[in-house]
Amino acid sequence: MEGIAADSRQASPTTAAGPHDVAKEIAISGLRKSFAGNEVLHGIDLTIAGGDFVGLMGPNGAGKSTLIKVLDGVYERSSGEVRYGGELVSSLGARPEVGFIHQDLGLVDELSITDNLRLGERPLRRFGPLLDRGRERADAARALARVNLGLPVDTAVGALSPGEKTLVAIARVLDRGAKVLFVDEATSTLPPADSRRLLEALKETAAGGATVIMVSHKLSEILDATNRVVLLLDGRIVEDSPAASLDREALVSMLVAREKSESAGAGLHERKAAHAGDGPEALRLEDVHGGAVRGLDLTVRKGEVVGLTGLPGSGLHDLAHLAHGTMRPTKGRVVKPKGARSALVPPHRESQGGFADQSVTENLTISSLSRWRGPSRLLRGDRERADAQAMVERLGVKPADPEANFATLSGGNKQKVIFGRVLMSRPSLYVLCEPTRGVDVGTRLEIYALIDELAAAGAAVLVVSSDSEDLFAVCDRIAVVTDGRLSAFLTATETNPQQLEAFI
Amino acid sequence: MNPVQAAADPASQGATDPGGEQRPVTGGRLGGSKLLQGSISFIAFLVVFLIYVIWLGDKFTSTEARALDIHQNAPVLLLGLAVLVTLIAGQFDLSVGSMATLTCFLAVGLKVNQGWPFALVLVACIVAGLLGGLANGFLVVRMGVNTFIATLGTGGVFLGLSAVYSSGTQVVATAGKPQLPSWFAGTGSLGSLSTKFPAVLLWIGLAGAAVMLFLSVRRMRPPRFAERQWDAISAGAIVVLAAILFVLGLSSWVNAVSWTIAVLLIAALVMWLLLDHTTFGRYLRATGSNSTAATLAGVNPGKETMKAFVIGGLLAAIAGILLAANQGDASPNAAVSFLLPAFAAAFLSTVILSTGRFHVWGTVIGGIFLVWVSQGLIVGGLPFTWTEVVNGVVLILAVAFSSVFQARRKA
Repeated sequence: MEGIAADSRQASPTTAAGPHDVAKEIAISGLRKSFAGNEVLHGIDLTIAGGDFVGLMGPNGAGKSTLIKVLDGVYERSSGEVRYGGELVSSLGARPEVGFIHQDLGLVDELSITDNLRLGERPLRRFGPLLDRGRERADAARALARVNLGLPVDTAVGALSPGEKTLVAIARVLDRGAKVLFVDEATSTLPPADSRRLLEALKETAAGGATVIMVSHKLSEILDATNRVVLLLDGRIVEDSPAASLDREALVSMLVAREKSESAGAGLHERKAAHAGDGPEALRLEDVHGGAVRGLDLTVRKGEVVGLTGLPGSGLHDLAHLAHGTMRPTKGRVVKPKGARSALVPPHRESQGGFADQSVTENLTISSLSRWRGPSRLLRGDRERADAQAMVERLGVKPADPEANFATLSGGNKQKVIFGRVLMSRPSLYVLCEPTRGVDVGTRLEIYALIDELAAAGAAVLVVSSDSEDLFAVCDRIAVVTDGRLSAFLTATETNPQQLEAFI
Repeated sequence: MNPVQAAADPASQGATDPGGEQRPVTGGRLGGSKLLQGSISFIAFLVVFLIYVIWLGDKFTSTEARALDIHQNAPVLLLGLAVLVTLIAGQFDLSVGSMATLTCFLAVGLKVNQGWPFALVLVACIVAGLLGGLANGFLVVRMGVNTFIATLGTGGVFLGLSAVYSSGTQVVATAGKPQLPSWFAGTGSLGSLSTKFPAVLLWIGLAGAAVMLFLSVRRMRPPRFAERQWDAISAGAIVVLAAILFVLGLSSWVNAVSWTIAVLLIAALVMWLLLDHTTFGRYLRATGSNSTAATLAGVNPGKETMKAFVIGGLLAAIAGILLAANQGDASPNAAVSFLLPAFAAAFLSTVILSTGRFHVWGTVIGGIFLVWVSQGLIVGGLPFTWTEVVNGVVLILAVAFSSVFQARRKA
């Protein structure tokens, strides 16, 4: 393959950035967004100067994604205005100067870098319908040089590392003339080395006069890369400071302070005294390998709640699948008592949890159907429906209609239904992945109460969550998974969120 | 794109999308509108038949003629059920037409040419169907071959085997050769329209259906009705429906049901129980809906898919046997042209008395309606060679009509 590598002589972003290349100011004022009467963004006022590198932080459900989507034009705003360079715009996404990088990068794995960069562009033609491949390649190489990516442009995107793919996506928007970049949690699924590379590229882009707005949960990234930190809580901006004035502790205390105020507002989840935790063993992992997990020992006893956290890619979710049994260890042993059953709340609600086109009842009962099987082997529909109705009422699923289509439920209610499915199967071991991902504060507290109940009733619970709040609210012992290995366990009272963050 | 559409579109559902949290909830209205939405294609078909009645009169309303349509197309409808099973699992089975052709040849040929005892012949046909299904399942589930390619390939093999077996010609029981049993083919046999199914059993079945219908209508009670009130409304609706059916000649229909049609109805009844009232059916739907979630919820999608292919093969084999009974002989490519109407019937089930869900009775009704629509045109003077064109057009119209209607409602 011929392959044109990025040429260092070609314009680097720093030198290419003339005064005309500097991004214009973005001014957002009084931006509100409601869904069906429920306000998610309560009047956002934010001015971002050209060349700013803004880190947008906030917990799940704070409205970060909604804000980005409103600015992109995916959602229509309810009120407020957005100006770009003083000019009123319907959405920033409609402007060619603004590019959005979502978690789904919109790249086609089977196509080469060149072909991906050409997607949706005016074709470069030689004559007639024939494409000018040479010019396409040269353009692609120039685009890659903008992000310092020295790859042959004929490489299939599928063969790139996740970080390289993100860089290709950034190269694409920059090449189309974007001077403002919105990057939505692009690093959350990247291994550390790729993250660093991506951040370097973004920093360089910002130094070249472009504006970068980056959504991230990672404190170190925000501190390292950005020059301004905006904290969004419950649809409001609660903090807007220069990054230089902040350090890790200040950031953590900003996040923790909101947790307290939020908890106070919604009624703090009363942490029960430690669960007994001296029951018989419900799960033992012995030097288990599999997926990203590389040699890990873990014991969970009946009546205790064990919490694990870690970054995406650390093997956290693989560990959950190994514990549940949906992943087989390549080495080592997973020991469960004879006849013990485990049930899993999968980390990704939409793609791994629910059956969108089926009813709430069918979603609830799928894991324990044999219970409603009569002597004729046919299902007793009436009993099944009654039990589903009872579960819907117990969990407060809205609408309280077991016949409702699962797809029509809101995220929090979907999560409740998947929880209900796990409860219905009455396992001895619960593996709960990201149990509160994307659910609102009220539901969050209900889920915590439920987990307490389960442990009190003698079940073993393994909470696997990247949200440290989950761990402190319900877990007796907490450990961190890093690079497929487990740290020493701490009790929830021995540690605090700051310390835990430091471990991650 | 408004948020409602965004959330309804699975591709745009972000796991942490707070917008998804705020979806408006339409609990109460669903019952009524779902009923209407699911009925719209059904009603459209009835309107077409009403036009036929006005246009063609007795030539279309003749019970015997319409029953003959169903009788002759029973193998097609069985194939519809065969493809339905795999469609529910999220797979395609393109080999069912070829399998039916193969078993049609086996059913006639093993008796006429080889002189096997007929019971053994039937067992051989069933075994062929099961093995064919197993082969499909093995290729798709174990080998991971694309379902389209796998069943297209096995379909070619089945059809080819039938051609090899028959040397590419028709197999007929000529004088001097062992004849097909008289209960199976010929006048007064299983394959003949004049052999009627005992009416008593049909009446019992209809009574059962009325009770089931009552119970399911009762469950759809909109909240604004009191329970008692809705019970009365449901019961009233069933009585009115029964009265309408009697006026339309229900009793003559019951007397027109041949054994072939009865075999179809019994197969449909069994499939309905299997798909809607057993754990297998639920696991299969879960597999088709979201295979990853099914695995994590404790279902074994591979196993269920395998079973679906085997059941599909079995039904295809029965369709071939029924075809042999109807025709008394086997001709090359006998059931190959059944594939389009079979898939059409199965897909029509997603819009007939349903909103997007594959189901057994919708397949049977959809298949029958499809036949009647084209037969009506043929009775009206259209050459029969147009049948396939009509089938294709009706399938597309019915599904498009429902999609447009549903999209309207959402907007």
